[in-house]
Amino acid sequence: MVILVVSAMASTSKLLYPYLNNGLDENIRERYREISKYMLLNVGEPENWGQNSQVTPETFGLAKAGAFNAYELDVDKVSRLNSENLYALSYADIFLALKMSDVSFRIEIKPIFEVSINLTASFNETDSKIYQFEILTEKHGSRVQANLKCYIIAENYFNITDTVQSSGRTSLNITLSNNVNGPALLIVLAKSIYEQGITSFSAYAFAHNSAEPHPKGTFLKLSPVNYNLTASFLHSEIVLQDAYALTFNYNSSLTQTGNNSQSATYNIPRFLDSSPIIIVVTGQNSTDFFIEWTAYPQIPFRIGADFSNSQTLSNVFSYTYTVSIDSALYQCNIWLGGPNQ
Amino acid sequence: MKNQNKGQIRIIEAFLAVLIIFSAFAVSANLTVSQKETRHNELAALGLQTLMKLDSDGNLSCLIDSGDWFSLREALKLALPSGVVFNLTVYNEQMQQVNTEVISNGAFSSQDIAFIEYLCTSENPVFRCYILHFYLGVAS
Repeated sequence: MVILVVSAMASTSKLLYPYLNNGLDENIRERYREISKYMLLNVGEPENWGQNSQVTPETFGLAKAGAFNAYELDVDKVSRLNSENLYALSYADIFLALKMSDVSFRIEIKPIFEVSINLTASFNETDSKIYQFEILTEKHGSRVQANLKCYIIAENYFNITDTVQSSGRTSLNITLSNNVNGPALLIVLAKSIYEQGITSFSAYAFAHNSAEPHPKGTFLKLSPVNYNLTASFLHSEIVLQDAYALTFNYNSSLTQTGNNSQSATYNIPRFLDSSPIIIVVTGQNSTDFFIEWTAYPQIPFRIGADFSNSQTLSNVFSYTYTVSIDSALYQCNIWLGGPNQ
Repeated sequence: MKNQNKGQIRIIEAFLAVLIIFSAFAVSANLTVSQKETRHNELAALGLQTLMKLDSDGNLSCLIDSGDWFSLREALKLALPSGVVFNLTVYNEQMQQVNTEVISNGAFSSQDIAFIEYLCTSENPVFRCYILHFYLGVAS
């Protein structure tokens, strides 16, 4: 009898242990899910903390104030999460504003599909050079059918291609006259043919009558906030030339609204287009021509804790959301983790 | 007399032991259900959010109005994360199936399927209302 009771108790505890443990995990998973939703559905405090570059939020939230739809994020709040932005929040700022001392997090916002550009060949003509590019639009290796709009920018040169329909892989020839000086920048904006709100973009800098282009962010730090662009100089001998705002359907030259020895500012127009705005600024550093670019909202980015090698954290859960920023759709991934229990 | 009592106590003990074992099974079965419910809730939330986003610019009702089932399937495939399997059925107000093609990206490989019912209204001058039954599962 004693053996029967003891074995019953032992088997009970053995049977229940994993389920009780999983039950605890499920509670944490549920709590973290609510926290991730809170981050995306709450506007934060003050509610316009994104637009005011000098303000650090007291309460964290990425939703657009007065948004008509759920999961509609504020373009400036999102941009201020990118470390490339001069007014970016630090992890500590967000951690304090979230007011949850036992939760570590990581936030990633990116286009729903990727655009990749490869220079496959170039041919010299008598007075020009032809560059052959391969443009891929893919989501996790699967091809995405999309309409493509391409912009080519070089020194005193600006050109737009007609919209090209791509089945996921397309070839594009760009002809640049020998009179044009590089480096040149090819910008590709892609829009899904099935859902106009799903857009993506990429840029490719290449040499043309010039030395190889420098990496992005060598000469300028571009910080778009509240439809104003601040171009901060990273070298002392910089002279700016042209600035452009580009979307899938529209484009505009930007007018400088102010400058000093360290930076220049521009107004960014508000386009009625479900597309990110690509901002391009050209200039000279001493005698070298350069092109810098960024996107508004300033994506893709990742901010927060790196959970990949963490030994001290357990119960890391990830959540995926489709969010909209100025009527374009993006993917937002949020990872949340807590201390080992 | 003493031996008779001993027998009764053993019967009670055996009964209690059996009760403990069965309660263990009963409790663990319920815990498993709650885990499945959490996963279902997450999938259902994801599906609902995706339909809402596609509907926010009127594209969802536009695709249904035009009967462009292929484009609707591709839009859902693109908007949902990889690894999520779905099946969508569109009904009119009389609950008659409207879609003439299967709107799905594959077969469900498990029993864990989330279900969402979504109401979509047409932006056409002629008012139409569609009832969407959206099933989601995780690909194996």
